[in-house]
Amino acid sequence: MYDFIKDPSLYNLVRGPLVWVAFLIFFGGSIYKIKTLIQLAKNEKVVFPYMSIKYTLRSLLHWLIPFASRNWKRRPMMTIITFTFHIGLVFTPIFLLSHNILWYESWGISWWTLSEGLADFMAIIVILSCAFFFLRRILTPEVKFVTFTSDYVLLAIAFLPFFTGFLAYHHLLLPYKPMVILHMLSGETMLIAIPFTRLGHMFYFFLTRAYMGSDHGFRHSIDW
Amino acid sequence: MAVEEKVVSREFKKYIRKPVADPGFDETVKKLTTEKIEKTINSVLKGMSTRVRAALETCIHCALCSDACHWYLSHDKDPTYSPVAKIRMTLWEMIRRNGKVSPEFIRQCARIVFTECNACRRCSMYCPFGLDIAFQVSTVRRICFLLGVVPQYILDQDHSHSATLNQLWISQADWIETMLWLEEETRLEYKDLRLPIDKDGAEVMWAPLGTEPKISTYHIMRTSIIMGSAGIDWTVASKDGWDSANMAHFIRDVETHQRIVRGLYENALQLKVKRLVLTE
Repeated sequence: MYDFIKDPSLYNLVRGPLVWVAFLIFFGGSIYKIKTLIQLAKNEKVVFPYMSIKYTLRSLLHWLIPFASRNWKRRPMMTIITFTFHIGLVFTPIFLLSHNILWYESWGISWWTLSEGLADFMAIIVILSCAFFFLRRILTPEVKFVTFTSDYVLLAIAFLPFFTGFLAYHHLLLPYKPMVILHMLSGETMLIAIPFTRLGHMFYFFLTRAYMGSDHGFRHSIDW
Repeated sequence: MAVEEKVVSREFKKYIRKPVADPGFDETVKKLTTEKIEKTINSVLKGMSTRVRAALETCIHCALCSDACHWYLSHDKDPTYSPVAKIRMTLWEMIRRNGKVSPEFIRQCARIVFTECNACRRCSMYCPFGLDIAFQVSTVRRICFLLGVVPQYILDQDHSHSATLNQLWISQADWIETMLWLEEETRLEYKDLRLPIDKDGAEVMWAPLGTEPKISTYHIMRTSIIMGSAGIDWTVASKDGWDSANMAHFIRDVETHQRIVRGLYENALQLKVKRLVLTE
């Protein structure tokens, strides 16, 4: 923050105030969205009275473990790619060494980190998975039929932070500094976009599964 | 033989079907105006269920629900039969255009939601998020119902429910009469068998489907034989509200739907039975 006041350059802007803005919107927006959905669901006669922790956990578990549900079993390629993609997408930025150094310098906090090689590998996985999802959107008829521009935009939002991060780390394409600016900008875009776009499925997943899991549990059937 | 014609959707070039004539679609859409459609769609969307809202805001358009659908599988994986595609061609489009759609579009929606989806909810078991896709289809059904664009045979049965609480315009006299002659005939083979009507305090009240007294009376015979042989203390209600069929449910006529269910429970309560048994 102080760096930006001393020297208001683009680099200091994306590194200082924008990070704050992004994190505040991400956490504030997410909490707001989750609270609103739960509040609205309370008005429904058939959501909360049937909610069951047991059936919710049962449902979540079967869909969070690869090959535990019927649809995961039927599509092994999709399962492997989507699981590695989401693991890479969520955990690489949290446990990246350079990110940890940054928030140690700014806020004095840090935790366990990934080795650089593993983090690099995970970034490559995310990038390749994005390519797979892109091709799937173009080539699979049933997916193509329901694809909108917004779907490509969402894919790009997930893709760019990893792509620019990878390029910056390996000093490819652009010099380090402009590439890192792009990387930070795209990362902040993603954080801001999560609560307000369909990327919010990151949180809604748990809520919609809770409903469907409980609904099926109540009827003595399974939803996986 | 006539040349096979095809209906191609104006909005979705891939949606190609054979023409189907149904007065419930063809005649009713003629009476629609775009203002009426817009008003109806927006009023339904305003009171939209949170479950539908959550589904709309979560669906990542992955089409993994496709393989669950028997319509999709039995039409050589035609993408327009995929569950998500049915939402895409109806609800998403209505929302995207703020309800400003043509009567022809409503006709197409009605064809999709009434004749190309059974609302079996199997797609929800294949959806990684467990989104309630059938419930979204129901929302579109509600819109079509309010606009009166419903397959004629099912709308007629809904009218029957609304007037008589049973599915097939059976009068109370007819219903009682049917039970009486059935008792007589069944007793030719099964001596002393009873088809008890309005037995107070019986263990079970059985509610048949309207089709049973109307068309397949042998079902009632068989049920009475089974009940009699098993020694079950059972009865049927003579008052309207003896029919467990609920066609109103399928077209989202929730008002009539509610009256049918209430009729059943009120009869059960009045007869002081312990259990309500329905034909499935």
